[in-house]
Amino acid sequence: MTGPLTRRYRRLLLAYPRAYRRARGDELLGALLDAAPPGRARPTAREAADLIRHGLRARLGRPASRTVVAWAVLVAVVSGVFAAAFATRAGWETARPLPRAAEARAMLAEVLPGQEFDDIEDAPALFVIYGQPLSWNAAHSLLFFDGGEYAQAGVGGSAVGVPARPPGETVELVQRNLREHGWTVYPTTLRDMYGCVGPPCDPAAIPTGATIVARRGDTTFTMEVNPAYAGNPGYLGAVFQRATPVAVYPFGLVGGLLGAVVAFLVFGWASRRTEGRHPARVAVKPLLGVVLFFWWVPTLWTLPLAAQHHLDEPHPSWHPMWEWLGQPTFSLLFLVGCGAALLGLALAALPRPDREPVGTVPRAG
Amino acid sequence: MREPTFLILTALADRPRHGYGIVREVGVLSDGRVSLLTGTLYTALDRLAAEGLVELDHEEEVDGRLRRYYRLTGEGLAALTAETARLRQLTTAAEERLRSVRPRTA
Repeated sequence: MTGPLTRRYRRLLLAYPRAYRRARGDELLGALLDAAPPGRARPTAREAADLIRHGLRARLGRPASRTVVAWAVLVAVVSGVFAAAFATRAGWETARPLPRAAEARAMLAEVLPGQEFDDIEDAPALFVIYGQPLSWNAAHSLLFFDGGEYAQAGVGGSAVGVPARPPGETVELVQRNLREHGWTVYPTTLRDMYGCVGPPCDPAAIPTGATIVARRGDTTFTMEVNPAYAGNPGYLGAVFQRATPVAVYPFGLVGGLLGAVVAFLVFGWASRRTEGRHPARVAVKPLLGVVLFFWWVPTLWTLPLAAQHHLDEPHPSWHPMWEWLGQPTFSLLFLVGCGAALLGLALAALPRPDREPVGTVPRAG
Repeated sequence: MREPTFLILTALADRPRHGYGIVREVGVLSDGRVSLLTGTLYTALDRLAAEGLVELDHEEEVDGRLRRYYRLTGEGLAALTAETARLRQLTTAAEERLRSVRPRTA
């Protein structure tokens, strides 16, 4: 069987797993050629889509299962999302280093002339945990639910002593100066310094703090302006950070797609290996449940919260992707899921007692 | 049971058939309404074989093309019989209702 149509059908049959192609490839090809009208040189688009779709289904094995496709999709999606998050972290490495302390001081002098700021220091890295670059020393904090401390570093400081100007005047001046120096200023967020529901407290009299955010090129600016109240002297703090670099998006897209494809193929391999009389056929199902629980639940818990946070406050640059997935806050749960996945794969790799190839149909007795 | 499954089992009811033979027979049985694609057919055959409803009968080579013939198992025959009875009962019930609504045409 040769010719352009045969070659093209053979190429489409690559969607099926190798063992299936060995067992049924020639038969499928024969049926395809039988069904093709004379003179046809290439498969129709409908035929091609059908072969790819059912080839991918064959990769999952368990032909009688009504749920294996759903499990595969859940695994592929969550793996793709985590792979995309890791890839975006790599993409962040293309960001310019943060402004040095001297540059930050100069920018603050443009934004709020005459105001002294303290504690302005060079940042040790683009992302830090408790002010330090990520290292093995931080593993305990990272794993045991302090992972939220791993965040973008910033260069900035707070006003020395009582702020030089009243809060309202500061906000207006900062917004004006930012615009004059080419910054895009986002709507200012106002918040009550304390909560009250009514008498004897007058909600209209509650002092209000403000957060100003702005962006210029790949630099973001955030300033907190809190008024003095109840013995509190007030607070004025500002920080410069890097906006998400453009490379993060293609990195995330490619990483996500690759992760999803690899996860689908690996899941399919393990599913095919563990069907029938495989010694681990019982153990792999609860392990899959553990993986899906520990990967999906923190993600589904955090995603709406992160979305709401972004809707509630203006963001010149969105939070990094992994924070949307609850990482590394829930990194311990993610690692438990990884452990269960590796154990499941190791069990799937155990030798099968029979050597019956995938896709073999029982012969009449 | 979904319609393509019912048609595949029906196509195998009288004698074993190979892949393209099943596709052709399904077309005849459905008056050309159902045209099975090869990928769809083989996924269905894999499922039916895993459920014990069809099995391999024999294989032959024609013009250099491998043909495997499939046939119904006892279980497959029972499933087809049960589904046919179910559809007949539904069809009869529907016809009775239609007769009462359109006594002249039904």
